[in-house]
Amino acid sequence: MKEDAESFLPLPPALFHILVAVADRERHGYAIMQDVASRTDGKLKLSPGTLYGTIKRMLDEGMIEELDERPDPEHDDTRRRYYRITAFGREVAMAESARLAKLLGQARAMGLAPRKS
Amino acid sequence: MNWQERCYRVLLLFYPAQFRCEYGAELSQLFRDRIGERSSFLLWLETIADVALSASREHGLMLIHDLRYAARTMRKSPAFTLAAMLTLALGVGATTAIFSVVNAVMVRPLPFAAPDRLVRIAEKNDKLTFSTFSASVLNFLNWREQAQSFDGMAFFAGGVFNLTGRGDPEQYVGATVTPSLLPVLGLRPVAGRGFAEGEDLPQATPVAMLGEDLWRRRFGGDPKLVGSVLHFNGIAYTIVGIAPASLNVLTGADLCTPYTIDLKNEKRLNHVITAVGRLKPGVSLAQAQSEMDTVFTRVARQYPEIQDWGIKLQTFPEWFVSPPLWTALWVLLAAVGFVLLIACANVANLLLSRAAARQKEIAVRTAMGASRGRLARQLLTESAALAVLGGGAGAVAALFSVRLINAALPPNLLPVQPIPVDATLMWFAAAVTLATGVVFGLAPAWQVARTDLNTVLKQGGRSSGGAARPALRRALVGGEIALTTLLLVGAGLLIQSLGRLERTKVGFRPEKLLCFQVALPQTRYPAATVWGFYENFLASLETLPGVKSAATSSGIPFGAGSSTRTPVTAPGASKLPPGTGVPVDWRVVSPSFFRAMEIPLLRGRTFTAADNASVPLTTVVSEETARRVWGSDDPLGRTLRFGNGREFTVVGVVGGVRLGSLDQAPLPGIYISAAALPFGAVDVVVRTEGKPESALAGVRVRLRALDSELPISNVKTMEEWIDLSAAQPKLNAALLGIFSGVALLIAAIGVYGVLSYAVTQRTREIGLRMAIGAQRGDVVRWILRDGMAVAAVGVAAGLGAAVALSRVLRTLLFEIDARDPATFAGVAALLLLVALAACLAPALRASRMDPVAALRQE
Repeated sequence: MKEDAESFLPLPPALFHILVAVADRERHGYAIMQDVASRTDGKLKLSPGTLYGTIKRMLDEGMIEELDERPDPEHDDTRRRYYRITAFGREVAMAESARLAKLLGQARAMGLAPRKS
Repeated sequence: MNWQERCYRVLLLFYPAQFRCEYGAELSQLFRDRIGERSSFLLWLETIADVALSASREHGLMLIHDLRYAARTMRKSPAFTLAAMLTLALGVGATTAIFSVVNAVMVRPLPFAAPDRLVRIAEKNDKLTFSTFSASVLNFLNWREQAQSFDGMAFFAGGVFNLTGRGDPEQYVGATVTPSLLPVLGLRPVAGRGFAEGEDLPQATPVAMLGEDLWRRRFGGDPKLVGSVLHFNGIAYTIVGIAPASLNVLTGADLCTPYTIDLKNEKRLNHVITAVGRLKPGVSLAQAQSEMDTVFTRVARQYPEIQDWGIKLQTFPEWFVSPPLWTALWVLLAAVGFVLLIACANVANLLLSRAAARQKEIAVRTAMGASRGRLARQLLTESAALAVLGGGAGAVAALFSVRLINAALPPNLLPVQPIPVDATLMWFAAAVTLATGVVFGLAPAWQVARTDLNTVLKQGGRSSGGAARPALRRALVGGEIALTTLLLVGAGLLIQSLGRLERTKVGFRPEKLLCFQVALPQTRYPAATVWGFYENFLASLETLPGVKSAATSSGIPFGAGSSTRTPVTAPGASKLPPGTGVPVDWRVVSPSFFRAMEIPLLRGRTFTAADNASVPLTTVVSEETARRVWGSDDPLGRTLRFGNGREFTVVGVVGGVRLGSLDQAPLPGIYISAAALPFGAVDVVVRTEGKPESALAGVRVRLRALDSELPISNVKTMEEWIDLSAAQPKLNAALLGIFSGVALLIAAIGVYGVLSYAVTQRTREIGLRMAIGAQRGDVVRWILRDGMAVAAVGVAAGLGAAVALSRVLRTLLFEIDARDPATFAGVAALLLLVALAACLAPALRASRMDPVAALRQE
């Protein structure tokens, strides 16, 4: 049922950011929002509607999976749904990273990006 | 939960239900998390924008998903899709096309300023049963002087204008109008000016306005025409302006000149004008009517000759749309409405059987967590997509139909032409499409919403799950059949009525008669010379090869000539109550008229050249006149008196003739000799041996030889005139015939579909019965009984409705009862036969079933 990872490229920025946010650990919605905001120095603020709309589609496509609801001790200990990246999600994220890396390389060759340090 | 969270819960309602169920709690949680983060104002601003954006995105994505799904389903069953689409296109297209006519005639305001304040001021005479009649100029002048209810009054009268000096002479229908006519109607000239007060006085310089239509058609819309001079009837008219096309809606004229009011020559009983008025703001029709009654009584006290008359105010719509036309349009609209309903029922049925076939799929999806609401929404989307496709095709079909209707309608059938194709029409088509989509989509969606999951899954999707479903489908088919019965009865009655109309005896022989009009301008032909001219012309025509006879009349039956009607009294002994008269249609005819028309002479003689102005006036009367006035007494030698005092001695009695329409029995008629009473504008009839049209070239040559400046107009054969008079019943019969044929086809498909499906559903049961000994004949009988029961109930309901609605149709029928038993029986038989044919295929299929295979089938 899963389609080729390439067919999702280019990824919408929100989707890519969410993949990155849930790559190292499982997170709930609010944690994803905060993670994305801190990674982008507050420049990208996912709105709740966009967040859950995207999560829904990512679940449908099998890029992330939902874990059982459980309390979050860091926040107020209410029960929340946690999400985690799947193997396919990883594949998609890698493909997107490769695409961006290639683009970055080309930009660099044209003097549009700083040289690798 | 604080108030902010509560408000947010309400906002969540904008999301699709499924999304809300899934993520509502999470979203609320998130909202709670963020309450402390920033000021409430900013949070709410962001939240509202977020909900608006993401909710519409979720809805949109769901729609796209459902549409894709619908497209896949449609592709999987192209026959079903095509059938449903065509059915809908037919329904929507026909409804929109008929609505366009109804809209143009009855809904769209007439093209005048504030048309709801305009009224026709007609005279009436209850004793003569004239409910509305033309007015007289002298009466009009009194009204205008005395009435307070009106902002303005105006009138117009007819006229014929021969244009010369611009190539071949041409004849136009004109109107003579008061200068006040345009202002009263709230119209402005397209170019130039209207008539000024004073231009209607006898000594004024002749001025004219051309109609916009004639101006564009004949003169290419040349602006320099205003101010130039055109010769009509030998008089030089200065063209002062171009009258807007809307004026033509009222007068039917191509050009107009001021009506010259010559008080010396006007007679109070000379009813020749059509008067209109504009009510003052705030004055109701009833108030104006009551004032006019008072005014009329006051005037009648002064002029006792008008005491039997009165005034009838008529609103413009009432005046423009005759009751039969009104009824016909509503009947047609109802008929297409029925076709649309039948189409909807059928598509609903098709969808129901498909929904039933998909029951297992749906049950499985429900079991996997899809909510019923979500599934219903998806089915509705499918229906809506189907409706949009069908409706779109229907709207396109309607556009073409309106063009076709405009091209096919005879010019005088509707008060407005052409029928506009406009946004209203497209809105209507869209609304109808939407309504149909919901109507036929709701049934399957509702079924899904109440499907019992367990039953379906247990039964392996095999059976229909309870009795409710077949009952609904049967009710739909029964309803279709009932409506079809109703339509067929209507169509059957109208078609028979038309047949009888066409077989009506008109009182003369209409075949091989060429008709045209000639009008002698008064300026070049003083009254004394008129008959001499026509006598020569007719004599010349009768020497043409292939012409048997030729005659003139001031107005031939069914033609466009003068329609003159007046009350006559009978001095001396008569059957009439003293002091009362009989309304008669009077025509001025040449002596050859009765011979040319082949109207039978019953008593006495027809006219000769000796019945001229130098001897006392004579008349030939119709048998109806003789009977009404003198009963069985011999009418010859007796006297008839016109309202203006002229007396005529009866010299002959001829057969009655239908004058204006086939469905009206001949009214009393009388004929006056053209040699005695000159009539300048006449209808000429030429009785030919071969085709009437073949005589036309010769006619033109002979006329030109006498006067090269005289045009002829309205060239038609008598049969064409009669056809035109029956245009309305023909159109009714044709359209209703088509609609009921379509309905019959759709209903037959419906019966077939339901039974086929029922057979498939009952495969196991039938197999079981056959296995325990039922014969093939039994199976056929079961299925037929099943189908025919529905058909019989539908037919009975339809016949009942037809009886109930017979009052509506009665006014459109001619010589046939709206409850004609033969028609009812015929329609019932036809429908039952069609239903039987539709049942037969599924029944036979069931009977050929292999019981073993049937039992094994899951």
